[in-house]
Amino acid sequence: MRKNITLLAALIFCAGILKAQKAENILAAVGTPPNPKVQVSWNRYNDYAAITDICKKLAAAHPNLVKLESMGKSYQGKDLWVMTITDTKVGNADKKPAMYIDGNIHSNEIQGSEFALYTAWYLVEMYSTGNKTITGLLADKTFYIAPTINPDARDHFIHQANTAHSPRTGLVPIDNDRDGLTNEDGFDDLDGDGHIVMMRRKNVNGRYKVDPTDARRMIMIGNEEKGEYELLGSEGIDNDGDGFVNEDGEGAYDPNRDWGWNWQPNYIQSGAYKYPFSIPENRAIVDFVMKHPNIAAAQSYHNNGGMILRGPGALEDLDTYNAQDVRVYDALGKKGEEMLPGYKYLVVYKDLYSVFGGELDWFYGGRGIYTFSNELWTGYSMYNKADGEDSQGQLYTFDKDLLMKDAFVDWHPYKHPTYGDIEIGGFKKTYTRLHPGFLLESDAHRNMAFSVFHAYNTPKLSVGEIEVKEIGNGLTQVTAIVNNERMIPTHSSQDVKNNIEIPDIISLSGGTVLAGMVVTNRDMNFTIEQKLDPTNIKVANIPGNSFVTVRWIVKGGTKFTVNVSSKKGGLASKSN
Amino acid sequence: MKKLYFFKLFFLLLLCNSFAQNQQDYSSHATLTQRIKLLGDKYPQFVKSRILTQTLGGKSIWMITIGTGSTDKKPAVAVVGGVDGKHLLGVEMAIGFAEKLLAKANTDSVKTLLNKQTFYVFPNMSPDATEQYFAKLKYERSGNATKTDDDRDGRDNEDGFDDLDGDGKITWMRIIDPTGKYKLNSDDPRSLLLADATKGEAGKYILLTEGSDNDKDGNFNEDGEGGVAFNRNNSYNFKPFVAGAGEYAVSEKENRAMFDFLFDAFNVYAVVTFGPTNNLSTPVTFNPQAISKRIITGWFDADAKANALVSERYNKITKTKDAPKTVTESGDFSQWAYFHYGRLSFSTPGWWIPKVAPDSSRKEKKFTTEDNVASYLRWATSQGITNTFTPWKPVNYPDFPGQTVEVGGLDPFVLQNPPYKMVDAIVAQHTDFLMELSNMAPKLDLVNVKTEKVADGLTRITLKVMNIGDLPTYTKVGDRSYFLKKIVVKVNTNANQTFVSGRKVQTLESIQGKDATELTWLIKGGGKVTIEADSPTTGSKSIEVSL
Repeated sequence: MRKNITLLAALIFCAGILKAQKAENILAAVGTPPNPKVQVSWNRYNDYAAITDICKKLAAAHPNLVKLESMGKSYQGKDLWVMTITDTKVGNADKKPAMYIDGNIHSNEIQGSEFALYTAWYLVEMYSTGNKTITGLLADKTFYIAPTINPDARDHFIHQANTAHSPRTGLVPIDNDRDGLTNEDGFDDLDGDGHIVMMRRKNVNGRYKVDPTDARRMIMIGNEEKGEYELLGSEGIDNDGDGFVNEDGEGAYDPNRDWGWNWQPNYIQSGAYKYPFSIPENRAIVDFVMKHPNIAAAQSYHNNGGMILRGPGALEDLDTYNAQDVRVYDALGKKGEEMLPGYKYLVVYKDLYSVFGGELDWFYGGRGIYTFSNELWTGYSMYNKADGEDSQGQLYTFDKDLLMKDAFVDWHPYKHPTYGDIEIGGFKKTYTRLHPGFLLESDAHRNMAFSVFHAYNTPKLSVGEIEVKEIGNGLTQVTAIVNNERMIPTHSSQDVKNNIEIPDIISLSGGTVLAGMVVTNRDMNFTIEQKLDPTNIKVANIPGNSFVTVRWIVKGGTKFTVNVSSKKGGLASKSN
Repeated sequence: MKKLYFFKLFFLLLLCNSFAQNQQDYSSHATLTQRIKLLGDKYPQFVKSRILTQTLGGKSIWMITIGTGSTDKKPAVAVVGGVDGKHLLGVEMAIGFAEKLLAKANTDSVKTLLNKQTFYVFPNMSPDATEQYFAKLKYERSGNATKTDDDRDGRDNEDGFDDLDGDGKITWMRIIDPTGKYKLNSDDPRSLLLADATKGEAGKYILLTEGSDNDKDGNFNEDGEGGVAFNRNNSYNFKPFVAGAGEYAVSEKENRAMFDFLFDAFNVYAVVTFGPTNNLSTPVTFNPQAISKRIITGWFDADAKANALVSERYNKITKTKDAPKTVTESGDFSQWAYFHYGRLSFSTPGWWIPKVAPDSSRKEKKFTTEDNVASYLRWATSQGITNTFTPWKPVNYPDFPGQTVEVGGLDPFVLQNPPYKMVDAIVAQHTDFLMELSNMAPKLDLVNVKTEKVADGLTRITLKVMNIGDLPTYTKVGDRSYFLKKIVVKVNTNANQTFVSGRKVQTLESIQGKDATELTWLIKGGGKVTIEADSPTTGSKSIEVSL
């Protein structure tokens, strides 16, 4: 009997997969896999269980492209999934130049997970269609994609009543009001409708009135005008009887102030926890990144505002970013602005705010990895134009015009234990910072394409010319050119300055090497000799869209092989 | 059975005493572990020891809690040794404090103290490093057993020291070389000093630590055993990409395990470090500039005043003098304890090379240049210590073919650590100091309690919450840190009593030593109310007031 049930379940499961439309009934829309092995709806949000399910299905359906592993456990013990995506038939995943992508470091900024998942899904499903761009990309590169690096609080955001802004933190309990108790006074879903929205109270001395053009909206009164309402903040009561409402809710630290680059404590940098990587989720990630020195590019998805952010995060770190690296960032970021309408390429400390201990700063400052944080979703996408004078008002018209008023909880009366007769209403947590369903796939695709561009531009090394010249006395001079065919150097200048990663090694086999040198000017014969171990010439960097020239003086041999090994640039080899 | 127990205890007591008295040298990890265990066996009612973590070198990081009852609810001092593996004395001072304090556990003063306060003793934060003192090859080491690639050549620990003269210790080597930067110190030619080219001085020697260039990269001993130093890995003023610092701040198990404990120990009001930094002989001075930026680099005025007060007591009790100015390293622990942990942080090396006047009978003259080695050698001579200097002797050494290479110089460890026979007196002085520090602890009282009948059934209560201790309830630097708790003042009322004015529960910010904050309430109703003030660093105080 049990066997039969299992069989039945298996049949139903298979039916679910097979239900995918038959290929002959479909005309592929360009740029999208028409009949993917793993069907995912990209117009809704997924909780941790759903994300886990998609990851597992991708790994099962594409065993040659996807390896799923856990980087470690969250505070509550959930696995932090990371998918290693590459063509495993070509090269070794951990030796190819790689891009790391994560999402959802801030709990309420959930669409980063869908964007990361979409990227994984798109890469492997497009690969399966035989698309040359993607098959070529996955032959050269590896992607490490971690859809959510904050799964505990993601599920809290999704399954508990919340605002669009809560929780931003993970779920390690914190005593925010320093009274010795943790999380004792958070929001309360007073009307039990699953939403934390606003509280308002009729009050002639209030500073707000109803907007005559949209009764749902509260606007400030002008001078000499009489008010109708006062606003009382988000739904809640004074749970701990200390005279404050909602002052010590879930967690309340910032996982993006926890990274080990110019880390500062919470009295200087609000949101910092105990010490760098004291948040268990981040600790797991840093361990993963340290074990993968091939990561040359990174993206961390946030919301919102339509920004392509790079460091420095803090003014104090201005010197970390020098002109050469900024040129690479600019070239990538400007392209991003073209690909992502409404998004602006910005620098955190001057265009946003000055923060210490951010993820992108550690990736770049600590590891020399070119890193962006995209702030997903921009008001531009509502009407495909820049916010007008009244961007707040646009939220109401867009909801009315295109979302059928699905985004708003209408004002309704409630009897509050402290405030008396009040009304509760406002935008749901899924609006203002998160994409509406119909725009989710479109923006995920654009951001995926930006990451593909970013990853494509990680170093691609090749050995070019190998010149073999007899120089008398039975000695041979072998000169080789090693190219980097992409924009990103093997070592960012931050890396070179601090010797973060070991040098690239260019080796010669065939013959007995007597001397080795880097050629700085081939025409004028300027060279720098490497006396120690001349067979394996160390070069500090192979610059982007450029090359280095190396030379050996060899006794014996006519057939030579030049091997290049670079942590971030991968491997290359050629024989004469 | 009972008899046997007593017998055992007696035996242990005997062992413990003889152990402490007979110890002839600094404590190896095994010795330290034994001393900790003995304390637990001898004073089970006062001592709880636990292992915070195991180092990569397989050593335990011990923490000893000394106190009674709910130790985590009582104001506490953290006492830390072994922050720098070179500084063996710090380990002795920390464990020695625990032993000397507990030896007096039956006296009234210590009994009272341990009823009211807690000590967290961390005897050795660098056990991987201190063990090098006891190893076959003895050298000064600060780093733990984490494998590091200090010269970033892709290989770990491939170029460490080498015992060229085979004496079991790493000293120095000097090579006669026209490009050398060092000259002989004319005050004492056994020591070498940097030649000052701006004064036309020429160097004669290359001075290096003893060892070969094992990886043939032109640098000597630049990537040996000895990974990350506890005292360079802390988050305040952390400098990455420096040998011994770690890849990022607080990357090491030792630092993390300790921080994880301390951040949850809200009752700690002061941290005392026996390590390289010294703000006890000379307190920090207040510099308004240093607190004017976002990242502050100096102490707040109120905290500096507390430091001055404590320093004054320290000098009086320990009678130490002539302390050299210390330069703190990046990532220093005692600085972390103030700037990032937000606690009053006091630190002393406990011992330094005493100044000795020239002895005319030995034809000694006043030194013309300041030189630690020369000062040490003069002091050592005055003490009859003769076996800590190895005379320079040529060795056969292939790395400098055709050149004269000599090995010799001062023994490792002797500049930071006095001969062991001096340790007991140093520990005794510093135990007295710690006892005095605990007498200065913040402590709450509710004073000047006044009740006024405003009308029938309406009473105004006014009182002052006073800190009767010398030290603040928490630091100024900790004002905005949620790892320091405020004072919670609660008024417990019954159903017939209501607040007309004033709050049932409120939190107060820090109160300086001997300072007070006034509170007032208007309460309707009769009977009695209790008012309680409490915070982890002060303990609680409760009073009953009749309306």
